Formats: sequence, C-alpha cells, structure tokens
Amino acid sequence: MFIVSVEFYNLAPESGFLVLGEYLKITSSSSLFSDFKLTLQIDKLSSIMLILSSLLLILVSLSSWNVKKQSSYFSLLIFFSGAIFGVFSSTNLLWFFIFWELTLVPMLFLIGIWGAENRIYATIKFFIYTHFASMFILLAFYLIYKESGVWDFSLIKEVTLVSPVLIWWLLFIGFAVKIPLFPFHTWLPDAHVQAPAPISVLLAGVLLKLGAYGIIRFVIQLLPETSQEFAIYMLIFGFLTFMFSAIVAIYQTHLKKMVAYSSISHMGLVMIALSTLTFEGLSAGLYEMLGHAFIISPLFLIAGFLHHKTGSWEMQDLGGLMQKAPYISAIFIIAGLGALGMPGTMGFIGEITILLSSIETFGTPMILIALGSMFGAGYIIWTIRRVIYGEMSEKVKKTNFEISKLEFAVLSLFTGIIIIFGIYPQAIFSIVNSAFAGGF
Amino acid sequence: MVLFGTLFGGGLFSILIRDNLILRKFAFLIILIGLILNFNLTDTSEYISLFESIVLIVGLGLVLHLRNGDIIQLLFILASSIALLESNTILSFVVIFEAVAIISFVLVSYIQNSTEAEGSIKMFIIGATATGIILLGITIFSIGGGDINSTEIMFSNSLQKIGLWIILIGVLYKLTVFPFYFWAVDTYSMINHSQASILSGLIKTVVAIATFMIFYDFLITINNYILFAIISILTMTLGNILALYQKNIARILSYSSIAHAGYMLIPFASIESSYSSNGILYLAIAYIFMQTSAFLILDHLRNRHQIKTLNDLKGFASKNKIISLIFTIQLFSLAGIPLLAGFLSKAVAFYSGVDANLWWLILIALLNSALSVGYYAWIIKHIYFDSFDKNLNKNIKNSDNFNLPIHKFIGQLILLIGTLYFGIFATDILEINLF
Repeated sequence: MFIVSVEFYNLAPESGFLVLGEYLKITSSSSLFSDFKLTLQIDKLSSIMLILSSLLLILVSLSSWNVKKQSSYFSLLIFFSGAIFGVFSSTNLLWFFIFWELTLVPMLFLIGIWGAENRIYATIKFFIYTHFASMFILLAFYLIYKESGVWDFSLIKEVTLVSPVLIWWLLFIGFAVKIPLFPFHTWLPDAHVQAPAPISVLLAGVLLKLGAYGIIRFVIQLLPETSQEFAIYMLIFGFLTFMFSAIVAIYQTHLKKMVAYSSISHMGLVMIALSTLTFEGLSAGLYEMLGHAFIISPLFLIAGFLHHKTGSWEMQDLGGLMQKAPYISAIFIIAGLGALGMPGTMGFIGEITILLSSIETFGTPMILIALGSMFGAGYIIWTIRRVIYGEMSEKVKKTNFEISKLEFAVLSLFTGIIIIFGIYPQAIFSIVNSAFAGGF
Repeated sequence: MVLFGTLFGGGLFSILIRDNLILRKFAFLIILIGLILNFNLTDTSEYISLFESIVLIVGLGLVLHLRNGDIIQLLFILASSIALLESNTILSFVVIFEAVAIISFVLVSYIQNSTEAEGSIKMFIIGATATGIILLGITIFSIGGGDINSTEIMFSNSLQKIGLWIILIGVLYKLTVFPFYFWAVDTYSMINHSQASILSGLIKTVVAIATFMIFYDFLITINNYILFAIISILTMTLGNILALYQKNIARILSYSSIAHAGYMLIPFASIESSYSSNGILYLAIAYIFMQTSAFLILDHLRNRHQIKTLNDLKGFASKNKIISLIFTIQLFSLAGIPLLAGFLSKAVAFYSGVDANLWWLILIALLNSALSVGYYAWIIKHIYFDSFDKNLNKNIKNSDNFNLPIHKFIGQLILLIGTLYFGIFATDILEINLF
C-alpha cells in the first residue's frame, strides 16, 4: 500500500486529478442520480495523505506484532486501511461519506475489544459522537448535490451553490468534531486513553488527519469565498483548541491523557494554519499534520508500553525511568522535545512556519501563538521531569523494561524521521508544496 | 393475477399436507415458482415487479425458518401481499388490506402462552379499530359521490377528501406511526418472534408501498407536507428515545421498527420530489431484509437459549461467531452504517426530503438515525465486548450446540445477501421510475 501511494504521488498531475477508475455506474441516463458512481481519483494532496496513512499503518502493524487474538485484530486493521484508502481517493461525495463512516466500524471493535479498563464507555462515546457529527456532513453533501447537480466534488464550483453559508457551517461543524476542535473534543481524550497504544497512533495519525483533510478539501477548496468570510471563526476555534488543551495538559498526571491533550493542541495549531487560507499557511498546516503524526506516535507507543509493563498510567508511579530504561527514555525525550517545538525537530519547523504565515495574514496579535508554545514547553518539560528523571518509584524498581527488537526499531524509526526532517525540512516541503502548487 | 393464483393455490393445497418435511419443501417450491413467474411476467410495472420479487425472496428466507404451523399462513400472506401491491382501486385496496389483516390475525392466533395471547389480542383489537376507521372513510367517500371502483383516486368535493383522509389514517394505524404506535411494541415483542418478523418486516413494508402507490395522486394534489413531516419527526424521535431505555431485545427491535416507520413517512412528506418513489422503495427493500433477519435470529436465540434481555446476550460472540456476525451486520444495517442496505436506502429516502426543500426535517431525521446507533451499538457491545458469564444465563451450557440448523442458516444467508447487495449496488432500484 505504501509503495502504491508513493507511485500515486509521482503519477498525480500538478493540478487536477488522476483518474484511477469508475465503478458501479448507472447506465440508464433517464434515471435519477444519473452520475452516481464510485469515482476513484487522486491528486497530490490525497496521495500525500495516503503515503502518511500507509506508512503509519505499516508501523502500527509492526508494533502490534504480539497482540492477542491476532486474526481478528489484523483483519480489522486491513478493513480500516481499505476504508482509509477509499476516503482519500474517492471524489464522489456520497462514496466519500460511505468510506468516511466505514472507518468508524473497525475502530469501534479495535478499541472495544483490545482497549484498557474503561474501553466500552470510550468506544461507544467515540462511535456515537463522531457518527452524530457525520450527519451534518451528509446533510451538507445533500445540499451541495441539490444545488449543483453533480456528486463529483472535483467538478463543483462555489458559484453554483445557492446557500453556501449553511453548507459551510454544516461542513465545518462536522469536520471540527473529527479534528477535534475545542468544544467538540471530549470524545478524543477518552478514546485515546482507552485504546491500545498502536490504535492510539492510528487515531492521532490517521483519523484526526481525516478531519483536517476534510477541512482542506471541502471547506477551503470547495467553498473558498465563504471560507474567506468566516476565516476568523476558524482561527478562533483553532486558537481556543490550541491554548485550552495545552493548559489542560499541564494539569494531567495521567501520562497518556497528557499526550492526548498535547495531540489535540497540535491539531489546534493545524487549524490556525489552515485558517490563513494562504499558500504558505496551507503548506505549513500540512507539514504540521505530518510532523504531528510522527511526533505523537512514539509518545503514545511509549506510554502504552510503560502501562503494559508497570500497570500504571500515573506519572508518579513512573519516576526515574532513565536509570532503568535509558534508550526508551531517550526516545521519549526526543519526541517530547519535538512536541514542544525544539529547533532541530519537525515540531519546530511546523510551529515557526505556522507562526510566520499567520502573522503575515492576521497581523502581530498572532504572537500569542508563541505564548501558547510556552505552555507546550511547560507540560512536556514537567512530564519529562516527573517520568524520566526524578525519584525512582517502587513500581519502576520492580519492573523489567525489556522491549522487543521490533517495537524498538519502530520507535527508532519515528525518532529518525523527527530529527532528519527537522534538520532538512526542505524534503518534506518540496512534497507538501506540490499539493497546493496548482492553486487551491 | 397468475402470480397470486399460484401462491393462493399453493396455500390451499398446503393445508392438505400433513407431513411436516414435505410442507416446507412444497412451500419453498411454490415461492420459487412464483419468483420465476414474476421474472417472466410483464403485466405489472417494473416498480411493482421488483418489489414483488423482493417480497418473494424474503418469503424464501422465511419459509426456511418458520415453524410448520406458520408456513401455510405465510403462503396466504404472500399471495395477499402480491394482490395488495397490484390493487389499483380503492375497493380492491381496502378489501385486500382487510384480507392481509385477517390472515395476520390467523397467524398470531397460534398461541402457546399467556404473553403471546396478550400480544395477539392487542393486535386483534387494533386491527378491528383500523377496519372500522377505514370503513368509515369509505362510507364518507361514497356519500360524497366518489366512485370506489375507479382506478383514478381523486376527490372532487370536500366530503370525498375527508373520506380519503380517514382511509389514510386507518392505514397509518397499521404502519405504527405516532400517535398509533402503542400497540405495536407490545404486539411485536410479545408474540412469537418469527411471527413478529412477518408482521413488522413483510406486512409493514408491503402496506407502506401499496399505500404510497394508491394514494400517490391524492398526496400530490393535497401536498400537505407539514403534517407528514411532523408525524414523521414525532414517530422516529419517540421510537428512538424509548428504544434507548429498553432492556428486552425484542422491545428494542420493536421500537426501532417504529422509528423506521417514521423514516418511511419522509417520502410521503416529500412527495413532490421525483426521488420520493425511489426513496420509499429502497427504504422498504432494505428494511424488509434487515428487520426480518434480526427478528428471526432473535427467535432462534429465544427458542434455543432463552435469550430475552441484553444481559443474556453477554459474550455471545465467544459462543457462536456466525450468528453474532450475521446479527451484528443486520443491526449495523438498521443503524445505517455504510456499505449495507440500511445506509443507502436512508441516503436516497432522505435525499428526497432535501430535494423537496425540507432540509430541517432531514437534519432531524439524520440526528435521529445517529441516535439510533446508541441502542444498536449497545446490543453489539453486549455481544462482543462483555465476557461470557456462566451464572447469568444458566440455560446456555458449554455443551450446547450453538449452531444454526442448516435450513435456518441458508434462510439467514439469503437475507444477508440481500442486505449486502443493496448496500453497494443501488443501480437496480435507482433506475426504476414509479410509472
């Protein structure tokens, strides 16, 4: 799947779509829904998302190599990847929605069966919450079809729509839940905490990106003029998410919850970048989306690993890890520094580009973003102080932190990516910029 | 007519058959012949013909599952359903509607305990009330000078209009819409579940489609979408919210059946949209497959393992993967999860509402549909996420054979294929126009 997506990236044209195929066509032209068909098309943006998702799926399946009930776990994972592939490559609105909803089903079971103690509450909440949000998206798609007469969004122009404002808000709320933005975020900390570590990686790295992809694709690219009008709301929601979750993260003593809130905070940053609606802003946002996936994943994996070994999520039970497990601690520190935006990591490049592009669009008040980053530094350093260094706790003393080679290789790979592309961001930007080079 | 004759004759003949095994095979054969006939006959419109073949396919699935006592009634019900779908005057519609009602009374009168008796009696009384209302409607229609034997169902004065409205209300009684839904929950959950699957799946959809076709011109003329929209919203909201509080699985499915009646009213409200006829057809086809299958599985679970409440279902997936999987797929389909018939049918039916500028109705319907996921997911939670507790359900023993008998399994497979097929291939239905 990874190789195929890289190939797609190379094949996709600079602007417009590469048609992969059309299926389930309605032959009789007199019928209703005459253009109802499954159209698979990709462009640079969707192929970048495909590369990211497939890379994460490979790493996730490697790091869950020794999971219980393997056959059903991996069949659900394959089902999930199929749905993800469909989301990023179908341009028919109804089929996009079908795949979009389909991603929830394997997630429901993956969290519900392999999750932690409180998994059932978390997974049902996740399922119903996101399903509710999807209904707004479906209604918006209905309105788009009614007013434009085509299902294929690559053919729809904003001017043909009669009620763009209503559609914009329906779409924005629908995707905001998935990202998740501030008042709609409550499903995510629960789902993140209860999900098994590899599935948390998928949640943060793939599922949240679906929301951001939806915003770029439908809110910004489909309705550019209305977005211009309401950009300030996107900014406010993004900024609130960014600040609020950073502050909440400081108060957490639950390790995985801290990582979850940090993940939400980064998605808020992505939203700020997207709200600029400029080429620089969108590129920076896409870069931050990739960076977020690679930075948060090792943090989740390590948090899950520590819980698996010690049986505790609380930070005070995990103190003094450096003395027992130096390699894991080192990876945790590097990823943590990435999350707080240390120069030399992907996190820094993401934050600085977003800062610059948003100042360019919205003016100097955007300096506040730098203030928000300080909160970020606060919770990460505070966590490192409590977990990695500090007094060695009883639990850590008793535990043997032996990690399988495969899991360690996956973690090192993430660390390598964070550092390499932090020092040499041009490699990512040359890819990311091409997504918006043809205009948006 | 040929189709009706075949099924009716088969029903009459099957009364004479005493041997149980032969009866099932005979009924299967009769329905199969009916299905083949239906493909070759061209005297009905494509719209009706498609729905008739779906009814017969579901009939095949039902025959493989039902108790022997119910098979004869099923043949009669299928025959009268076909007749109801092909009726084109008020007189024939009402007469056959009563025939369906009477045969369903005979069906539920096969009583084995007092609970079933209560459910049957409730249905009988309600049926009698509905008949009274319909007859009142016909009387008023006739007094107004209407011709009940005319194929054009239209009114020329207000008396005739009132008469038609009253007939419609009587029919809505059968569709279990607000405020006539109380009886349905008790009946569906108290009578034998295999009978409930016929009542809530087959008969309900047939009545909905037949009513839609008979009253199409009338509805277009009056175009009273606000009334239908409000009834629809009340029906689905009540059905979904009350279902959330149930512990008994049969009651959950009964309330979900009421909620689906609410969805089926959306095409009635959006009658001016050209999508409405396809919407209700798709909704009916999807619903008949999923509801029948869900109730039949429940019937098997109750007869075999005395599973009645959600707690009895705990950890069932560890006991039988196949039943759990089929049940889960059908529940997901009822909930409207994509790639299953339930989603696409709702998608088309709801689009008809948007097309008729009723987007607020559709927003409420969509949110309702999301709410319904709550109780379906709750059943699935009990099946998959909870662990099996031996003390909780003493009737399930480890030595029990949890497999479906082969004929029931094939029946379930037929229904499952229907759910999956119409979840992906929408073309068959979307290409058909009402007239």
